[in-house]
Amino acid sequence: MDVTVTVNGTTYERDVEPRKLLIHFLRDDLDLTGSHVGCDTGNCGACSVIVDGVLVKSCMLLAVQANGASIETVEGLAEGDELTPLQLAFNEHHALQCGYCTPGMLMSATALLRENPSPSEDEIAKALQGNICRCTGYWNIVEAVKSVAK
Amino acid sequence: MLLREVEYAKPGSVAEALELLAANDGARALAGGQTLINVMKARAASPDMLVDLNGLDDLTGIELAGDGTLTIGAMTTYTELMGSAEAKARPILGEVCATIADVQVRNRGTIGGNVCSNDPTNHLPPLMVSVGARMTIAGADGEREVSAEEFFLGVYLTAVGPGELLTRISIPAGKKDGFAAVTLGADGTCIANAAATVNGSVRVALGCVDAVPVIVTAESADGVADAVRAANLEPPSDVHASSEYRTHLAEVLATRAAQEASAR
Amino acid sequence: MIQSSETTLAPAPVEVQKGWGGQSVKRKEDKRLLQGEGVFVDDVKRHGMGYLHFVRSPYAHAHITRVDVSAAEAIDGVYGTLTGEEVAALTDPFFQISSVPGANIKDFSLAVGKVRYVGEPVVAVVAETRELARDASELVEVDYEPLAAVVDARVAQDSDTPVLHDDAGGNLMWSGLYSWGDLDAAFAEADRVVKIPELHFHRFNSTPLECDGALVEYNRGVSQWTIHTNNQFPGFAAIMMGPAMKVGLDKLRFVTQDIGGGFGNKITSHPQLVVCCLLARKLNRPVQWTEWRTDFHLSMSHGNERWFRDTEVAVKDDGTLLGFRTKALDDAGAWLRYEPLGGVIWAQVTPGMYRWKHIELEFTQVATNKAPVSPNRGYSRMQHLWFTERVIDIVARELDLDPVEVRKRNYVRAEDMPYTTPNGCVYDSGDYAAMLDLALGLVGYDSMEARRADAKERGKLLGVGIGSTLDSGTNNFGQSRLINPELQFSGNNEVATVKLDIFGEIVVTLGTTPQGQGHETTAAQVVADILNCSVDDVHVRAGHDSYWNSHAGFSGTYASQFAVTGLSAVKGATEMLAAEIKKLAGAVFGGVPAEALELADGGVRIKESPDAFLPFMACGAIINANNAGLPEDLDVTLNCRYVYRPPFEVPDVETKMGNLTLTYACQVHVAVVEVDPETGAYEIVDYAAVDDCGKRINPQIVEGQVMGATAQAIGAAVHETYEYDEDGNLLTPNFYDYHVPHALDMPPLATGAIESPSPFTPLGTKGMGEGGGAGIHAVCAAIQDATGQIVTDSHNPYQRVWRLLQEAKA
Ligand SMILES: Cc1cc2nc3c(=O)[nH]c(=O)nc-3n(C[C@H](O)[C@H](O)[C@H](O)COP(=O)(O)OP(=O)(O)OC[C@H]3O[C@@H](n4cnc5c(N)ncnc54)[C@H](O)[C@@H]3O)c2cc1C
Ligand code: FES
Ligand code: FES
Repeated sequence: MDVTVTVNGTTYERDVEPRKLLIHFLRDDLDLTGSHVGCDTGNCGACSVIVDGVLVKSCMLLAVQANGASIETVEGLAEGDELTPLQLAFNEHHALQCGYCTPGMLMSATALLRENPSPSEDEIAKALQGNICRCTGYWNIVEAVKSVAK
Repeated sequence: MLLREVEYAKPGSVAEALELLAANDGARALAGGQTLINVMKARAASPDMLVDLNGLDDLTGIELAGDGTLTIGAMTTYTELMGSAEAKARPILGEVCATIADVQVRNRGTIGGNVCSNDPTNHLPPLMVSVGARMTIAGADGEREVSAEEFFLGVYLTAVGPGELLTRISIPAGKKDGFAAVTLGADGTCIANAAATVNGSVRVALGCVDAVPVIVTAESADGVADAVRAANLEPPSDVHASSEYRTHLAEVLATRAAQEASAR
Repeated sequence: MIQSSETTLAPAPVEVQKGWGGQSVKRKEDKRLLQGEGVFVDDVKRHGMGYLHFVRSPYAHAHITRVDVSAAEAIDGVYGTLTGEEVAALTDPFFQISSVPGANIKDFSLAVGKVRYVGEPVVAVVAETRELARDASELVEVDYEPLAAVVDARVAQDSDTPVLHDDAGGNLMWSGLYSWGDLDAAFAEADRVVKIPELHFHRFNSTPLECDGALVEYNRGVSQWTIHTNNQFPGFAAIMMGPAMKVGLDKLRFVTQDIGGGFGNKITSHPQLVVCCLLARKLNRPVQWTEWRTDFHLSMSHGNERWFRDTEVAVKDDGTLLGFRTKALDDAGAWLRYEPLGGVIWAQVTPGMYRWKHIELEFTQVATNKAPVSPNRGYSRMQHLWFTERVIDIVARELDLDPVEVRKRNYVRAEDMPYTTPNGCVYDSGDYAAMLDLALGLVGYDSMEARRADAKERGKLLGVGIGSTLDSGTNNFGQSRLINPELQFSGNNEVATVKLDIFGEIVVTLGTTPQGQGHETTAAQVVADILNCSVDDVHVRAGHDSYWNSHAGFSGTYASQFAVTGLSAVKGATEMLAAEIKKLAGAVFGGVPAEALELADGGVRIKESPDAFLPFMACGAIINANNAGLPEDLDVTLNCRYVYRPPFEVPDVETKMGNLTLTYACQVHVAVVEVDPETGAYEIVDYAAVDDCGKRINPQIVEGQVMGATAQAIGAAVHETYEYDEDGNLLTPNFYDYHVPHALDMPPLATGAIESPSPFTPLGTKGMGEGGGAGIHAVCAAIQDATGQIVTDSHNPYQRVWRLLQEAKA
């Protein structure tokens, strides 16, 4: 099936098997390998992206379902080399180790901050509940997000 | 990951969706996909065709009638319900939805999908039973309405037959509700849960203990534990809980849910 | 949520670096990772590559009676398959570390003749797309003749139990008796003998978020494979793969950039890598393998499950510990992929943190029809340290003594350091009692009784528990000879190269394969201090490539050793480079001796006349591109390779005595829990983690490791378990049922640190990161305190706690 999506401002048109998950489409077909796969049951959030303003796990929908959508992924956060305050905060607070969960974490935190620019610690933890990190224990991630809360 | 081959259809209306479902034996409705896609990843089910219900306006929306009855479109996501001013008329709905899974799942998972999948560990089946929800099912012959009690038939099995769709759920007015669960991790999958509603007497629906929610009633919260015991539950054992532990939890959680409901 | 407290004790007996070392320099690797520009194995693509999918066993134990791949191969877009039969013809079985009987098993990279656990790879299929490879694998026909399964290690050696490996003659894989001191004397001297019938350490692992994977290319012209993989110990993989594939190690090129977590779980992917190699050659195209989460849970690197049986502890009435004896029974799963090394690794920490003098431990390892075990963060020491901590708390309870007092009475004391354990290991430095005080202070231990009363009022049972543990680092691989005296391994090594390139760039190459430990940053800190430049001037190559020639036999990232082995190699290479720079400058300046020169401001200058300055750029240019006229005997390359070799002796095989690791970092954790007595559900309401890993090059990175180890330990203590049913089906094969803690599950955390530099390492550092499972010990102790019941399992989901409370009532 023909699928047209706009990812981080660039429009792509591809012929896609309906069975292909959005995450595979992004990674394998569009070479946008920033979003990751950490599970096969929708639990880990490593594949989180924002579709038409809504945070989703891209392994939980088909690429064809995103037809016509505007998608934001980790690759689109920074302006060139200019990291966002959130990205800088992750560096400052050592909120990443292996960095595998990081793209998903950043997308979840970005979605949170758009909706709620001054979240409490509990609200941050709740907003990141769908993202597993096996390296950091989350404390530094919560700190990083908190540090950019207004 | 790596589903079997499947056809994809995006109908423009409920009628078209029903036609597609009726015309293809192997067709399955795709709502939020937060259960169905997982099942397809495991290749535990492999529909020939997915009929995507997203974008069908007739299946969305939350209305509050003058008598306090809430009508919720089947394709309403948990997030939409949590944010709906109308849904606050029955506060327990938003409260429970806020504890289902995580933001991403709540952004896509739907009320209709939750009850139609009838996973015994899901949050909404017992809640729908305790609040006395009524489900509207559409098929080739038009619509029919069944009570939540009649809706849940077995594990992954509901009154929605082949070629049919759940279109909306209506919930009568009320406030005195409670919900209690023991979960795997904070706000995780339920090991056992209970939803209670006080409407004169107390009515509790127990989840995770049988294929369908088990209803017990009592005069007051104090009598709930006895009522649960009298129900002679024989819950399944699995890696998270033995039958014995679930039986015990059912009693404790039923009481807690009933107390919460009574206290409102 | 986090509070930290920094305390530094014990003035350093070694020279402590000034400058970059000791600062929380922000990580150099972060930028690419934050932009989604890391290169993880699954990001590597090649033209024409085929995707590999494994057909896996649905049975825990069965004979394979027929394999037919024809239907799969007939599909358009399927490139080919590989069967166990082909593997058996093309390769030798993997070399076995074990002595007999484990030595006799025949381990191939695909099941041959028999399957031994659910999920074991039986056939591999390669196709044009991932989806198609899986479709085709469903068409592979395999007939099985099911056999009864062994899932309980305790019955594995019974006569009526089915045998996994006929070649081994039974399910016993390895056994050994360790005995040090004089047990009889200890029990004679004891006032009391505390008996503990059975303790069980459960099966789990760290589940790195990225699963295993590879992209393998075969260069037919030079018969060489390039293996892009996230294997975290390529040195070990090569040693396993080369002989099996009957090729020299140079034919196996390992390339890695970013790895999404390892924790030991990515050491034993060599069987899957062999399959990829064979198929890349057979099909003459690059072969890509992605392991999915369920595959990982079913088949990869579970942590060692261990039973401690018939334990007897000799104690004095005042709580003085004299000795113990126990029988450790270890469940290796179906294959010995790194085992039975677990049978000796525990001995690095034989007495735990205590001055027990007399110890006897009979170690037995058996095979079962479960996934093979292999190292998991805290590998084998964690199990043993959990045991020693359990013993302390059980003894304290039996003697009605305060667990804090029993610990303090028996801890190895600061004044005893360096302390030689009964089996000849040398604890290098530390002040355990001071750490405990610090940790107790962080949770407000003094007001605990008031909190207990408050909790009671709210209907909750409060409990406090201590987990004191060691993170032994820098293995002496000679300990493998205690497993198998025939083995020719000993010592350890790591490599770094540091060079000045033509424009003066400082380029560092490591032998390691980091998975988030920040090696690029800490290495740059060490280099910058020696070359007296900025960390920004130091370029540390990301990842690992065995073509860089900067690796040695033990290269990799595992077993808490980088701060010792890796950074000591970096220090050595950089000091060589500094000396060469001075030598060159001395010659250029016309015979100025090195002592008269100093490195500063990105160059070298004469101390007395700083205007005579040669920038690194000039140095690099002269040596690399402008070298005519240099003195003939000027032995300078500005490309320095250093191999760090820790000072080790081969342990004595007879007495089993010897120093098995170089450094002993230490962690003391305290957990406070509140249990809901009606349901057994509990919450960790307060948590403190105090760490001492000697000199910290980058305290923030160290703290990050402490946090990560804490979170994993909490996960294991409360939720994470690989549970099998009696037929050998894994009941927790994905993140739905194997609940990994998320942000909402984390308790408030207070961290503290003490620095007791190691007298044995060039930088005063100690290896750290694994953490020794302190959180598991602490949570178990806290539950024991809250429920008043002896905790005998390392895994305590709510159901088990509820059961404890039922027992208390009965
Ligand atoms: C990580 C994770 C954790 C989760 N944890 C929980 C939890 O704790 N509690 C909980 O309750 N749920 C949980 N869920 C499940 C989640 O709530 C699902 O969203 C829900 O069960 C299904 O809703 P859906 O809209 O996604 O339905 P889908 O997955 O699209 O559909 C589910 C089934 O219902 C059918 N169906 C859907 N809508 C209709 C309709 N209108 N008419 C007829 N048939 C229909 C589909 O054909 C399919 O068979 C979790 C899911 C994930 C991924
Ligand atoms: S890969 Fe999508 S949630 Fe794990
Ligand atoms: S940083 Fe490794 S999983 Fe989060």
